[in-house]
Amino acid sequence: MIEANTPLLRLVRTFWPLIILSLALLIIVAIVDFTGDIILAQTLVEGLVRIVIVAALYIFIGNSGIISFGHIGFMMIGAYATAWQTCCPYTREMFMPGLPVYLLNNTHHFIPAILLGGLLAAVAALITGLAIMRLSGIAASIGTFALMMVFYSVYLRWSTWTSGASSVVGLPTTTTPWVGYVYAVITLAAAFLYSRSKWGLALRASRDDEVAARASGVNVFRQRLLAFVVSAFFCGMAGGLFGHFLGMLTVDSFHLSMTFITLSMLVLGGMQSLSGAVVGVVVLSFVIDVLRRLETGVGNFSIPTSSAEVFVGITIILILIFRPSGITGNAEIYWPFKADVSASAAMKRQS
Amino acid sequence: MKQRKKAPEGRSQADRACTEGARVAEQANGSGQTLEARQVSVSFEGLTAVNSVDETLHQGEILGLIGPNGAGKTTLVNAMTGFQLPAAGEVLLCGKVISSLSPHWIRRHGVARTFQAGRLFRDMPVSENVEVAAVSMGLSRKKAHAHAMELLEWLGLADRAEMPAGILPYTDERRVGIARALALSPQFVLLDEPAAGMSDLECDDIMQVVREIPERFGCGVLLIEHNMRVIMGVCARIHVLDSGKTIARGTPAEVQKNPVVINAYLGHS
Repeated sequence: MIEANTPLLRLVRTFWPLIILSLALLIIVAIVDFTGDIILAQTLVEGLVRIVIVAALYIFIGNSGIISFGHIGFMMIGAYATAWQTCCPYTREMFMPGLPVYLLNNTHHFIPAILLGGLLAAVAALITGLAIMRLSGIAASIGTFALMMVFYSVYLRWSTWTSGASSVVGLPTTTTPWVGYVYAVITLAAAFLYSRSKWGLALRASRDDEVAARASGVNVFRQRLLAFVVSAFFCGMAGGLFGHFLGMLTVDSFHLSMTFITLSMLVLGGMQSLSGAVVGVVVLSFVIDVLRRLETGVGNFSIPTSSAEVFVGITIILILIFRPSGITGNAEIYWPFKADVSASAAMKRQS
Repeated sequence: MKQRKKAPEGRSQADRACTEGARVAEQANGSGQTLEARQVSVSFEGLTAVNSVDETLHQGEILGLIGPNGAGKTTLVNAMTGFQLPAAGEVLLCGKVISSLSPHWIRRHGVARTFQAGRLFRDMPVSENVEVAAVSMGLSRKKAHAHAMELLEWLGLADRAEMPAGILPYTDERRVGIARALALSPQFVLLDEPAAGMSDLECDDIMQVVREIPERFGCGVLLIEHNMRVIMGVCARIHVLDSGKTIARGTPAEVQKNPVVINAYLGHS
């Protein structure tokens, strides 16, 4: 009996962190769905979209060790590309008169639209990555920061396609908790598989020691570029989800604030761990939510406006000083059974 | 170690030419391939670290590269593995110039190296340290893992395969470095002071390992080492550098008696 279960157990063991993360999210989504609380559902969807973003960030940052400040730019590209296909059929020409005739006259279902949004973000990452991924360390990070500023400025001035400084409104709000859940799990699975693939392995080697990685045959530039493109794809999809969660888009929401909040989540949870990415989102989203409530006042008590940002900033500094590898210590959720008795232990638990 | 620009257009061409050339050479005389430094010079801001050095490493041999500190031994290895563009001269792999190609290309085409400082991937398990080299050369992760375990088994490290490389003791670190370099049997392996800081007993182990490399992997070994017992014990041929220049070459016995070599060592230490 134990023998017969071994291959399945091994599979479960390999994918353990992914299974636990997916199940935990499933339970949360199911509970919120059951209560029918709309405010709670909105907080949840926002959290799920952030999980997509942070898991996408993990694909590049966690494996390459290069902090990217540019990914929110890819998120914006995905968000607008999706909106071009799905937004407000009757007022699209008013918001975005410069769109080509095909886009003005045709509306796509949001699922393929989000996919195309992700693809456009990936193409943008490929083109820009060809230059930026030749850099290493802090120079690469600064390059991605500059990239984000470029994307931001272009979209802000490109008003015939993006409505510029004003908003695009009227996107169908199709990102329900279950839709968010499916995208979150797909992204987590992709991130998990990527870091365990041969490409992820080669990229992690370059993170630990770039010189030794080159000496081991790793084409560091190509591996970084691949991860950059893959993570931009998922960031782009997160943008599409985000637009269909809010029902509107503004260029301003894809700027410094979003960049730092999502990076903070990754750093807080543990940059080199996918479990850390999820833990970071959950913990920081919760903390920010509590602080926002306190800002508006609970009973007679309230804290000054923008305290949340200050608090988050201080938390990140403290984490970097006292626990630089984040809450999870860069580890994944571990297999809870002893290695040699895992089969029998699992059997006992089942019976 | 300065990173050079790679030459993408020359790459695939050189690739084909190299394997072609090797095949032709092998058919012609049955001899193995060679890694050759031809009049290689390297300078850093006017300081000449390696000065017109010639050497040819053949498959199946163990060549010792010795010299006092700062003689240019590691710099020569850097030049032969693509980490350092020579200021003059060229490096040839089976007759084709490779000195301007990137380190990963050179590794994939059969020239591997280790580092003095170990340079393991510290956050990764020991087995993955070796797997990195194997997957870079096209193996699937599963096959790479099996291959890595074989190498680690040979080096007596199989029981530490799952340990993070960063917590290994010094001597094991060196062995993992050697395993990583030997993944997928390169034609040439350049070992940079594998026995540095080891006890006599540990040196004996490393000597045993180095001696086994040529027959086990069919490759030529270039061994940089300060420990004379190791050098004299395993090398058939020795090349002596001092201040970037070749000052002697020959068998261990010849080199040991050479007054220039004795002077270079005593004069520096």
